[in-house]
Amino acid sequence: MTDTKNLKPVSTAKNGKGRRMSNSTRSKIGDFMFVLPAIILLAVFTYYPIAKLVQISFTDWNLLKPEWKFVGLKNWKWLFEGSGAKYLWNSLKVTFLYSCGEIFATLVGGMLFALLFRRMTRSFSAMRAVIFVPKYVAMSSCAVVFLWILNTDYGVLNYLLSLVGIAPVDWLNSQSTALISVLMTTCWRVVGYGMMIYMSAMIGISPQYYEAASLDGASKSQQFFRITLPLLSPTTLFLLVTTFLSSMKVFQSVDILTSGGPARSTEVFVYLIYKYAMVDFRMDRAATSAVMFFIILLLVTVCTMKFSQNSVNYDS
Amino acid sequence: MNETIVSKKRKSAWYHIQTVLAVLVTLVMIFPLYWMIATSVKSAEEVQRVIPTLFPHSFHPENYVAVLTKANFLHYYWNTIVMTAGILILQVGTGTLAAYGFACGNFKGRNVLFYLVLGALMIPLQVTFIPIYIMCANWGLNDTFLGLILPESVSAYYIFMMRNSFLAIDQSYVDAGKIDGLGKLGVIRHVLVPMSKSTIFTVTLVTFSNGWNAYFWPKIIAKNEVRRVLTVGLAQLKNTFAGQAVSNYHEIMAGAVLAIIPLVVLFIIFQKYMMTGYSKAAMK
Repeated sequence: MTDTKNLKPVSTAKNGKGRRMSNSTRSKIGDFMFVLPAIILLAVFTYYPIAKLVQISFTDWNLLKPEWKFVGLKNWKWLFEGSGAKYLWNSLKVTFLYSCGEIFATLVGGMLFALLFRRMTRSFSAMRAVIFVPKYVAMSSCAVVFLWILNTDYGVLNYLLSLVGIAPVDWLNSQSTALISVLMTTCWRVVGYGMMIYMSAMIGISPQYYEAASLDGASKSQQFFRITLPLLSPTTLFLLVTTFLSSMKVFQSVDILTSGGPARSTEVFVYLIYKYAMVDFRMDRAATSAVMFFIILLLVTVCTMKFSQNSVNYDS
Repeated sequence: MNETIVSKKRKSAWYHIQTVLAVLVTLVMIFPLYWMIATSVKSAEEVQRVIPTLFPHSFHPENYVAVLTKANFLHYYWNTIVMTAGILILQVGTGTLAAYGFACGNFKGRNVLFYLVLGALMIPLQVTFIPIYIMCANWGLNDTFLGLILPESVSAYYIFMMRNSFLAIDQSYVDAGKIDGLGKLGVIRHVLVPMSKSTIFTVTLVTFSNGWNAYFWPKIIAKNEVRRVLTVGLAQLKNTFAGQAVSNYHEIMAGAVLAIIPLVVLFIIFQKYMMTGYSKAAMK
């Protein structure tokens, strides 16, 4: 297995980043072999599918008939002007609202929790662990528990509300509360994550800043808004970007809790694509929507990369 | 003197408020988990009471037996374990090798290929699942372990994290290993991997939890009973007893508990690693 040729004293000229320069071509091919499996798998399961997806979006292919032909921009017209448009905008709106909710829970909730639970004692550390554990609870388990808690007739939430005189709410089956119910599940799962990220970033802030500030007579809230928050801005940006990107991909909780309903009020983008492909078998429409989804992801990523390069990093 | 006493008193008031608030919030946060476990041992009759009981009046472990045998969860368990193990082995294997290639290797097009890896971070399965599904169907991979595992067999995230970890190791260790007669694989095994143990561990735990909790792709590729995994089986549980959606919540909750046990146990054992795992990724 081992390549004994490398025992020869090859020149090990280095350039700063710890890369190894080697003169032998054989060694170069050897190095290439290391990345080959990963590259082949990525090519087959990531890059080829993307190309194929774009191709399908210009055909009229569905799984119900064997032959297909190119139809030009028909699917794209359908997506933006035809009957697909209203579902596209609806799902974009729902996804955006959902993303805002998840970002709010992660950033604001996470920050508040980090402030509340920042005491460095044993009991607080145990409580932090309890708050973080939902992150590791399978989303499907989360979803069925909330299905049960939010149950209209026997759910514990409606029972608690009835104690304070509020009429039972049909959480998952009414258009106004369905998305809120999905977000409740998400909040429970992500808030501990936001807390942990903020906590570990707060620990990294030098106490000297606070000492200097309190010498200058700054109040606790001034210290928070003038020192903590600005110094945490790289963390906030990181959380914002990663949460936004992952929240766009939401599927599982929606699928289990509401199946996109009622009346498409929780039909997020991935669920729409899934439905076109696996329920209607309209691969052409599903592929067109998926390409659209990819373009949105790409735009968001490029924009945030541009933005984060320009943003000020206070940490030296 | 006086001033310090006052400020100390004020601090202690806030101190107690903080404690009470923290305990209350923790209780609210743990409630869904408690409710899951409590419901899972209740009887069918107790679940349907108009006034829910906080503590189960009678203990019914047979709910678990029902879910494991009647709802076939034992079989789903096996499927999930094999799928997760397959994904883990392949991701760690291809990922570690590729990370070495990108961190220490020297070949033409290395940077271009690395950008390809980074680009893959932006292309989730939720975008590409249609062609992959058709491809797998053509290869006869519907309802097979290969179909479940292959599309998830390489992780750009894993490669990226491991490459950074390998780059952080000083070149002189690698050279020392070479002088001692190690080949490239030997260097990976005896020098690089042991030195980045904590990164490998945390990233692998994240990979494990992602594999165990996978839902989207398994739902598409393994629709039938034979290769159904826990997450999908659990979601199915609410549909199988059609018409009696309420009466079987005790069994659904038993299924939910079964689905999370391995991860929660792992979390308790490796709490420190799992809690820092994500923040480590955040710092990069």
